[in-house]
Amino acid sequence: MTLGWVHPGLVLILGAWVLPLLRGRIKRVAMIVLPTAALGICLTMTPGTHGALHVLGQELVLGRVDATSLVFACVFSLMACLGMVFALHVEDDSQHIAGLTYAGSALGVTFAGDLLTLYVFWELMAIASTLLVWQRREPSAVAAGFRYLLVHVVGGLLLLAGIVLHWSRTGSLAFGDMSASAGGLAWSLILVAFLLNAAVPPLGAWLPDAYAEATVTGAVFMTAFTTKSAVYVLIRGFAGTELLVWLGAVMAVYGVVYAVLENDARRLLAYHIISQVGYMVCGAGIGTELAINGATAHAFAHILYKALLFMGAGAVLHTTGLRKLSEMGGLYRTMPKTLGLYMVGAFAISAVPLFSGFVSKSMVVSAAGETHRTAVFLMLTLASSGTFLHTGLKLPYYMFFGKASDLARERRGREARANMLAAMALAALACIVIGIFPGVLYRHLPNPVDYVPYTLQHVTSTLGLLGFTALGFFLLLRHLDPEPTISLDTDWFYRRGAAAFVRRFQRPLARLESGFVGEIFEFVLRRPVLGVASLLRRFDGLVVDSALVGVGRSTANLSRVLKNAAGGHAQHYGLLMAAGFLALVALAALVR
Amino acid sequence: MSFLERWLEDPVRFARLQRWSFVGLVVVVVAEIALPLVFRGGHAHFSFEDFPAWGSIYGLVSCIAIIVVSKLIGKAWLMRREDHYDS
Repeated sequence: MTLGWVHPGLVLILGAWVLPLLRGRIKRVAMIVLPTAALGICLTMTPGTHGALHVLGQELVLGRVDATSLVFACVFSLMACLGMVFALHVEDDSQHIAGLTYAGSALGVTFAGDLLTLYVFWELMAIASTLLVWQRREPSAVAAGFRYLLVHVVGGLLLLAGIVLHWSRTGSLAFGDMSASAGGLAWSLILVAFLLNAAVPPLGAWLPDAYAEATVTGAVFMTAFTTKSAVYVLIRGFAGTELLVWLGAVMAVYGVVYAVLENDARRLLAYHIISQVGYMVCGAGIGTELAINGATAHAFAHILYKALLFMGAGAVLHTTGLRKLSEMGGLYRTMPKTLGLYMVGAFAISAVPLFSGFVSKSMVVSAAGETHRTAVFLMLTLASSGTFLHTGLKLPYYMFFGKASDLARERRGREARANMLAAMALAALACIVIGIFPGVLYRHLPNPVDYVPYTLQHVTSTLGLLGFTALGFFLLLRHLDPEPTISLDTDWFYRRGAAAFVRRFQRPLARLESGFVGEIFEFVLRRPVLGVASLLRRFDGLVVDSALVGVGRSTANLSRVLKNAAGGHAQHYGLLMAAGFLALVALAALVR
Repeated sequence: MSFLERWLEDPVRFARLQRWSFVGLVVVVVAEIALPLVFRGGHAHFSFEDFPAWGSIYGLVSCIAIIVVSKLIGKAWLMRREDHYDS
């Protein structure tokens, strides 16, 4: 590794193992210092290629540092700081290690200049995030974790297959724009693996499934890294791919539709991750300078406000134990600070002027407008209305206002812990600063920015859109009451479809098993084994047994002779001694 | 926060809050129609964006469409009992 360049991801991954050795206050300091150090490294890093290794004749690049990777790395490490502050009270080292490893491997993906390094960190990310689901240690979480792992293992294998194919075709592992091999099998496999991590439907059902089951603090980490690192690699490798424009636009609407039906607070927010990532995927697909800037800026803003929203829902879950909207209500009396901070996140995601979403999301929508994509423009604008409808109106209404359910009245809840509120306040501050001073973010985007978010037309039409979305919400409020149901998504295929498959094919499989596999087993394994066994038995009976019997018999004969010799009569002993003496004398005479 | 309780739990104040919300909506619509006439310029990408009060109309239509269409799809197809996967 080049002297003077430290990989911030490795700082987190290796540094995490120090935590179990520390206790009390020192440990909590270390929990903050580690991600802060990573952030510091990212902020002071100089662009260029660092950490190049030569392994097996290939050049691996651990540190490709340029504007695109730096802005993602900065927000990832900033997010790790916020996540650790939020998790400061958790007395479970394994969760901290998993969280920091997860963040560190996301940084690894961001700085990876070649596909092999990318793959290694990609898989590490999948494993670390699975642990964050399992660590809730409830049967439903364990099951969801296994499903999550299953999906990501499949995605990882597709990625590996694509990388190997790409390598054998081009002879290079370097990761850059993939458009040269567009349409090929390697290109498609890598793209599908990336789309799976970006939760693009129909490959996205793992996201609400797992994020709603993760630990309260783990879910906050999960909102940031997997999907946004996928957006990053899409920007790197697949910018300008037309397919992404449409997938992104559909995705933005898809998340909104499911959010209408959703009853679990964190699942609702998870569907809005899918919706928001749709804007980024769409921006990557449009591929113009403005669109790439928009996708990057929106990823940056999104990580912060989505973490804030998950912290809010997590705080409610933490203090009341409630996760379903139909069981909540009336919490504004007991958790006003959580409500206030949550609303900052809700305004940011809804792109209310002066909040971060307003200055980032509109770049992607404008890029769709500039390239004259009417349908995409309308779909993205519709999804904006849907975002405000759910995250800004429905969720806070049923969680904090609305009629308190019996359960909510019973567990009135209390204000979230101080460290949770502090993390939320920091994230809220970031949302507001970016919203008011967009230049802070724009300065670090990959392309030069001449976009002005605060135009008269933009502000008034956004306010109109949001205001009348609110009107529509209150008009149709009766129909929006959350219902205790779950919604079918493509996870049906591996949750129910696989079981149905087994039921349907159980009998043919059993027949195949007994008919074909059983016969093979009979001839290849059972018969020879039995033959060898009977040979061994015969050997045992003939040789080993008779040898033992022979030894026994001769011992018995000898004992019988000796028994006669040891009769206890003194005259016999004297006779024997005399005979022995005579024999010795005879022997001595003979030898002479 | 007693502030929230004051405004939400007192019917008189709540009615006042509602009235002001409606006034706000009217102001937004008027601003959206009038301001572009006063300050010419700004750049719309599509001609439909110049339709008077485009944002407000599209917001209301979107909101209602999302709720109605999603609920229809949900009732007809997607929504299942919570123990759907447990059986």
